[in-house]
Amino acid sequence: MTTPQAQQAEAVSVDAPPRAARLTWRRFRREPLGVAALAVLVLLVIAAIAAPLLADYPAGYGDTVLAPPSGAHWFGTDSLGLDVFAEVVWGAQQSLLVAAAASLIAIVFGTLLAVIGAYFRRVDAVISVVVDLTLSLPILPLMILVAALVGPSTMTIILVIAAFSWPEVTRVVRSQALSVVRLPYVDAARLMTGSPVWIIRRHVVPAVMPLVLVSVVLTSSRAVLSAAGLAFLGLGDPNTWSWGRILYEAQQAGAMSTAWWLPLFPSLAIFLLVLASTLLSTAYNDARNPRRNK
Amino acid sequence: MSLFLFVLKRVGRGLLTLWFAVTVTFLLLRLLPGDPALAVANPNMTRETRAALLTQYGLEESLPVQYVKYLWQLLQGNLGISFHQNTEVTTVLMERLPWTLLLAASSLLVTVVVGIPLGVLAASRRGGLWDRFVQIVAVTGQSLFVPSLGILLLYVFGLQLNWFPIGGAYTDGTYGGEWYLSVISHLVLPCLSLVFAQLGAYVLTMRSSLIDALGEDYVVLANANGLPARRVLWKHALRNALLPTTTLVGLQLGFVVGGAVLIETVYAYPGIGRGIYEAVTQLDFPVLQGAFLLLAVTVVAVNMITDIAYGILDPRVKAAS
Repeated sequence: MTTPQAQQAEAVSVDAPPRAARLTWRRFRREPLGVAALAVLVLLVIAAIAAPLLADYPAGYGDTVLAPPSGAHWFGTDSLGLDVFAEVVWGAQQSLLVAAAASLIAIVFGTLLAVIGAYFRRVDAVISVVVDLTLSLPILPLMILVAALVGPSTMTIILVIAAFSWPEVTRVVRSQALSVVRLPYVDAARLMTGSPVWIIRRHVVPAVMPLVLVSVVLTSSRAVLSAAGLAFLGLGDPNTWSWGRILYEAQQAGAMSTAWWLPLFPSLAIFLLVLASTLLSTAYNDARNPRRNK
Repeated sequence: MSLFLFVLKRVGRGLLTLWFAVTVTFLLLRLLPGDPALAVANPNMTRETRAALLTQYGLEESLPVQYVKYLWQLLQGNLGISFHQNTEVTTVLMERLPWTLLLAASSLLVTVVVGIPLGVLAASRRGGLWDRFVQIVAVTGQSLFVPSLGILLLYVFGLQLNWFPIGGAYTDGTYGGEWYLSVISHLVLPCLSLVFAQLGAYVLTMRSSLIDALGEDYVVLANANGLPARRVLWKHALRNALLPTTTLVGLQLGFVVGGAVLIETVYAYPGIGRGIYEAVTQLDFPVLQGAFLLLAVTVVAVNMITDIAYGILDPRVKAAS
């Protein structure tokens, strides 16, 4: 049995992390831009999940071609007469799915490599060279080459984006992990256990977690831009609507110049998502570390 | 001597990056399902035709042999034959490269010329209205999808106001000075799109590094000595704050190239990017491969030059490496 003091100490140590999180949350709530950004992101996610309820899947041909926005078609219709609102809503689903899946893979892989590299210095040399080399190459043309070779599908796009997004995650997380590994409590843990896996899981990963959270948001928003870029060049999944594909189809049909609503609404969707992600991550950083800003 | 070593190191790094790019490309081409021989050939071809094609492309040999041959060909500047146009990829791409370079370089120049004063303005009026405004412009530019920006400018200034042409790089049938003028007027909109997309990074970096510099002891001393505030800002603080902005040129290069690829597609600008777009539609793998390698060489070369310039400007960098 443990003594009351020990029990109390344990209770405090268990309580500590949520208290820090609550403090961050309380500061975060006072930042109007951050809260607005979070609201926009939540709305976009809800729209993506509820796409089947909001609009019928746009397929086939519609009756009125290139109609401007009206009560019947909020965002107008495209050159096949399809409802642009439905395309944007269903596009949100595809775009967010790609972003979530690609950034999840990139984050897990990138964080793992960063943490392992920080802990085992011999592996680190190889990892950091690969990261440096990949980051100094023009990534979009490389993604285009791979996507064209494999053939466009949702899976291809997710994997291609993930494959070239992890180095950025590793670069960011690695520098933080390196400074954590040098801290005395990690040395103390080394004396206590021979298991690096335990030390990494118990000490290094929690220490880099806030950075990883920010990375999730930023990597996803960059993934949306990359996916839109690939789709805009004709490398999107031809069977599903995405924001990039709406722009691509409009460009192919030569309708950009006459129908302003065709490029406007998917562009706004991408803009809102990326802007909200940027503002959210800035607000979160400020709330966590209030001294850093002013 | 130490400068020589520093330059040598950077050149070696550049060559290593290029070798990495080439090897990745080779592995992608050989290991991914889009078999180049299958891509050119009719699906109904006989086994003999397929075998002949494999021999022609050197695909029946072992991977290491293919790799050495691939490297050897690249060293001679041979990027293969375009599937679609049946001409050398090098010729096709070299015709397009100057346009992409013009677009990227002009956008970089305008970004630096506009971005640095804006960053200084924001930093010197920190927390004020101008600071807010500049930050909003910067973050907006960074959040826009580059083609969206291109389409917006095209719609407003090309189609509605009719100030600038909406596609291509020059007007056919013009000569001499008139031709140069048409090149500039065709360049304005795609260039401005890229400027707006890049501006945020420069403005925000300039702003934060100048704010840091303004907090340094030597600035406090200069102010205490009664030097005019403008002189302290522009002469003392800015000089030191400029260095991190110089490194941005190298860091942002990959992004600029990606942006140029997309913007050239919007404006039908005859550079490498438009070439990539056309090659994607025709599944012209040699062109895609060559375009990536050529852009990689360009990016690595410019990166190397900015790195070396940075090392000369700031002796600490040279000493640290």
